[in-house]
Amino acid sequence: MIQNYIPIFFVIAVAAIFGVAVIFSSKLFGPQRPDKIKESPYESGKKPFGNTKERVSIKYYLVAMLFIIFDIEVIFVYPWAVQFKSLWAEFGIFAFLPMFVFLIVLEIGFLYIYMKGGLKWD
Amino acid sequence: MNSIPIEYYLILSAFMFSIGVTGVLIRRNAIVVFMSIELMLNSANLTLVAFSSYLGNPIGQVFVFFVMTVAAAEAAVGLAIIIAIFRNKLTVNIDEINIFKW
Amino acid sequence: MGNIIINDLWSFLKPEIFIAGGIFIILLADLVIRDNRKAIHFTALIILIAAFASALLQMGTESFIFYLGKGNNHGLLAVDPMSTFIKLITIFSTILIVIFTITSEEFKGSKFKSGEFYTLLFGMLLGMLLLSSGADLIIIYVSLELLSLSSYVLAGFIAGSNRSSEASLKYVIYGATSSGIMLFGISILYGLTGTTNLYAIHTILVSPHVNYLTLGLSILMIFIGIGFKISAVPFHFWTPDVYEGSPLPVTAYLSVASKAAGFALLIRFIKVGFISSVGTNGFWNFYENFDWQLFLIILSIASMTVGNLTALWQNNVKRMLAYSSIAHAGYMLLAIAVLSEKGMLAFLVYIAIYMFMNLGAFYAVMLVANKKGNEEISSFAGLGYKNPYLAFGLSIFLISLTGIPPTGGFIGKLYLFIALLDGDMYWPALIALLNTVISLYYYVRIIKEMYLTKALDDTTIETSKTELTFMFALVAPILVFGIYFTPLVNFCTNFVRILGF
Repeated sequence: MIQNYIPIFFVIAVAAIFGVAVIFSSKLFGPQRPDKIKESPYESGKKPFGNTKERVSIKYYLVAMLFIIFDIEVIFVYPWAVQFKSLWAEFGIFAFLPMFVFLIVLEIGFLYIYMKGGLKWD
Repeated sequence: MNSIPIEYYLILSAFMFSIGVTGVLIRRNAIVVFMSIELMLNSANLTLVAFSSYLGNPIGQVFVFFVMTVAAAEAAVGLAIIIAIFRNKLTVNIDEINIFKW
Repeated sequence: MGNIIINDLWSFLKPEIFIAGGIFIILLADLVIRDNRKAIHFTALIILIAAFASALLQMGTESFIFYLGKGNNHGLLAVDPMSTFIKLITIFSTILIVIFTITSEEFKGSKFKSGEFYTLLFGMLLGMLLLSSGADLIIIYVSLELLSLSSYVLAGFIAGSNRSSEASLKYVIYGATSSGIMLFGISILYGLTGTTNLYAIHTILVSPHVNYLTLGLSILMIFIGIGFKISAVPFHFWTPDVYEGSPLPVTAYLSVASKAAGFALLIRFIKVGFISSVGTNGFWNFYENFDWQLFLIILSIASMTVGNLTALWQNNVKRMLAYSSIAHAGYMLLAIAVLSEKGMLAFLVYIAIYMFMNLGAFYAVMLVANKKGNEEISSFAGLGYKNPYLAFGLSIFLISLTGIPPTGGFIGKLYLFIALLDGDMYWPALIALLNTVISLYYYVRIIKEMYLTKALDDTTIETSKTELTFMFALVAPILVFGIYFTPLVNFCTNFVRILGF
């Protein structure tokens, strides 16, 4: 039972090690000549004031909403991809077409958002 | 693997559902209300998955996929509507959104 | 296998395919066409007419679509006469709503995004079409949400309007909560029966190994979702606020089409899932120990009484019509609660006439609101002299909503009472009759305001010839069906059947 999960543990371990290693390697290998001005928060050349924890712009909301919708559609692709070989054996091209239609539908939605300027930041 | 009996899942999901309903009823911030609604949907998901594993029948898990998608769409629509009302009234407190009365 | 699916799709799901394709055509047209807004209106109309024609052509067909496969003879969707009827009603009312939209003052000007509006309207329609033939709880839930999510946005479609966005927020909170409760009920029902298909649930419930307490609880939860859609008391609290705040074409649409789809779901849910058999005399039998008839009757009586009594002191005509639509939901629910084929026939006749009279009333109110900018009852003062044609049309609609002969509304009520007496339901019939009398008061109040009250100001309420022609096109069927109703009833008789029962 447990040996089935070894690849997953392995992936988790590699991800953790890689993440930590990248952070520390930049500290380790990068040149570091700190002084007082460099360590102070950047505020367009003015003297720093206020908290660095600013509210996020409301524009981010739009991108976040679009992300939620397009992100979640992937869950329909996963089971299809996992079962694709047996589906192909049973249905032939009809195993492929429905997902094709599904993705085209998604792409039309994406095209609409793009053309209407939903992803423009300014 | 099947050492946890189905009742435990059901009690947990019923508990989550009750928290969700209570949240919808007593919270005043529209965004928190939506979070409570998400909790209700997720408790239903938990029930579906628990039954699906208990009955050895995959339909429940398929259902969960659809519920997750619908929940995402509902969250997006809900947030969009909250933004629309925030632009007009500068508040998301549902007690202050009260043009229409009996 | 694949060929069979495509064949099935094309022979039984043409309306759905047209509408789904229409969504994309309109989305893309909205990107390409920038100035000529009329083109989008006409594209929408043409697609709808094609869908309506294809729904008419598939009259009388009965089949499952999307079979569950391997040793399972149930499908995800059931195309049958009842669902075809509801499809005809919903598509036809969408055609009328497109015409509403073209003449609506709220939707004039460059701020109105017609492409988005029709995309959402078609999304809503697609949800209704699938809902009316959904035989699987997954399809039912997803199409219910498709319908709801589109309508939440449509309710708040006027950007920058406080009232519209408030209506939208209230709608989304009530709607999401009730669909969440419904989903929890569905999950319990799934656990009890091990399937999500209504027809399979039927075969399982026939064998009495089910815990009836849990079953009752889960069905009660599912009823909350359905009751929300048909706005039956006590799940009606959203109705007046949403109806008052939404743009008027959307209100009219919610009050007819979305209600019709909700009723289709209710009928299929009761008749397929929870009726053990249909007797030779046309009465439906529940399982033993499991009688929901009283519950349905109480729900319907509460709906009509609360709706009518609250409508009495409304001063906004749109809000008054909202309460009146709750009351009409009560009448239609009572027709279903008879639980017989005659009750079904009464329901179909009622909803067909209800579509004409309610949409007509909303249209006449819209023509006044276009000029006045509000729907207060005082805006209707002296309308009988300012614009006699409009006032006459509105009077016919209101008389028909009350149910006085010689209008179609009377025929709807007549068949309702015949079904009630046929099912020995004397007390509910008496209460429905009393409710009709109560409703007379507030409908006539508008007529009195139009003909007997002096106008406070002398603003004229002008209507163009096309608007009046359209309104009289809605008056005509009401008057015709009020006198010569045999064709309508014969037409409806063809649609009583549900697949498998």
